[in-house]
Amino acid sequence: MRTRQAFNFVAALGMLLVFMTGCSTTTPSAPATQPAASEAGPFHAIVDVAFVQQHVQTPMPEGVMLIDARPRRPKYDEGHIPMAISIPESKFEQMRDMLPVDKNALLIFYCGGPACDLSHKSARKAEALGYTNVKVFSDGFPGWMKVPGNFAAVSTDWVKQQVDAKADMVLVDSRPKQGKYDQGHIPGAISISDSQFDKLTAQLPADKNKLLVFYCGGLACPLSSKSASKAIALGYTNVKVYPEGYPGWVAAVGAETVTAKAAAGAAPVAKPTANSFKAGKAEGTIDPAQFKKILAEDPSQIMLIDVRDKNEYDKGALKTAINIPVDDLEKKISTLPADKPIVFVCGTGARSGESYYMVKDKRPELKEVYYLDGELTIHKDGTFVLKEPV
Amino acid sequence: MIKRLVIGVVALMLGLVFIGPATASEKGNPRKGKYTYRKVYSTCMARGAVESPKPTVNPDAKTRAQWDKVFANKDFAQFGCDQEWAALTAEDLNDIYSYLWEFAADSPTPAKCK
Repeated sequence: MRTRQAFNFVAALGMLLVFMTGCSTTTPSAPATQPAASEAGPFHAIVDVAFVQQHVQTPMPEGVMLIDARPRRPKYDEGHIPMAISIPESKFEQMRDMLPVDKNALLIFYCGGPACDLSHKSARKAEALGYTNVKVFSDGFPGWMKVPGNFAAVSTDWVKQQVDAKADMVLVDSRPKQGKYDQGHIPGAISISDSQFDKLTAQLPADKNKLLVFYCGGLACPLSSKSASKAIALGYTNVKVYPEGYPGWVAAVGAETVTAKAAAGAAPVAKPTANSFKAGKAEGTIDPAQFKKILAEDPSQIMLIDVRDKNEYDKGALKTAINIPVDDLEKKISTLPADKPIVFVCGTGARSGESYYMVKDKRPELKEVYYLDGELTIHKDGTFVLKEPV
Repeated sequence: MIKRLVIGVVALMLGLVFIGPATASEKGNPRKGKYTYRKVYSTCMARGAVESPKPTVNPDAKTRAQWDKVFANKDFAQFGCDQEWAALTAEDLNDIYSYLWEFAADSPTPAKCK
């Protein structure tokens, strides 16, 4: 009996030893079944919120791209770091053309915080494509929002959803009232121009927890961010910015609000006389010198439509241009305003010419339509070089 | 003799000056041609004959000489959408020809139909 007990004790001890040894020896064998260290775990270049903050500017500096690796819906749509673009990790392959051409550009990936590995995975994929300056902001969106004074940005889809649902929010147009808000704004938006913000704070709600969404003239416009910071300083706790602003809204939803200005009580704008601009050499074109003059002196007198693809537009666009890619133009053609000359632009004149003829065919009542012919190179800051056709 | 030679040379020069541009202008309007070419396929898709509104043959699919031959022989079967091609006017065809020729494979700017 005693022998049997001793045997049992030794057997139990042996099993315990085997178990413990097993635990300690399974780790080295793990690489055979788990990804190698270079393919999993944290990315090798991690940056903090201060690093990200120094690069988040309106407009974004050239050679820097901030990338949200989370799923677009609903994560990116309802709140992302301002100026970040959405390339979900799951769609990296399909969307990699959105990455900059320059392989030395600074790419900063982020996702949902330290427990999220999407940004690390995307960063490794970017490095595999040859990008040499790739970072991961591992504290991600939660880390960004922890910093007092920081706010989230929202997408066009999200704003449209809130507008359609008549959500309980205050949408604020930070552009100048005259010439901008009065010409057209997002339905339901109130006008508090950033320059008049301090004088117009009475228009903001008394409830400091109410959702405020600021927008202005697109990705190159800093007014909405400035106003958002001012609102946070006043004690508002739920402040967001819609960086794509009014141009993004018009491109996605249409320009109905531009023609609806009379209903809002604004002074009617004098309609231009037929063919009020000097024509260029080819049919339908605008004289390049006239085009440059308009942009320099009063770009608001034309509706400037950039018909390149969105990824081209995002890399640099004329300051007042809205983006309606030529492939989307036909379905939005009914929204083009009749009370303002329209000028189409693209990179060479091919797509803008096609757009011109499409309008002539589908909206023949629009008499003041032009396109810019020639090789147009638009820089990130909105400046441009036009090489006229020979 | 010299007088005849001078008249001949002058006539030849005048011919080169005026006939050259006339030939070029006969090629039509490439910008309008691009729209018309794409419209052929969007119309064709609307009646359910093709699945995509994108043209099946890009300008850079052929050289300029090959496009010359296609339009000289009116060899449009390769494009599909016969009904829409048959409805095009001579001016429309000339514009499309001009577009395809302008961006042909051996042109300075070969292009896809984008």
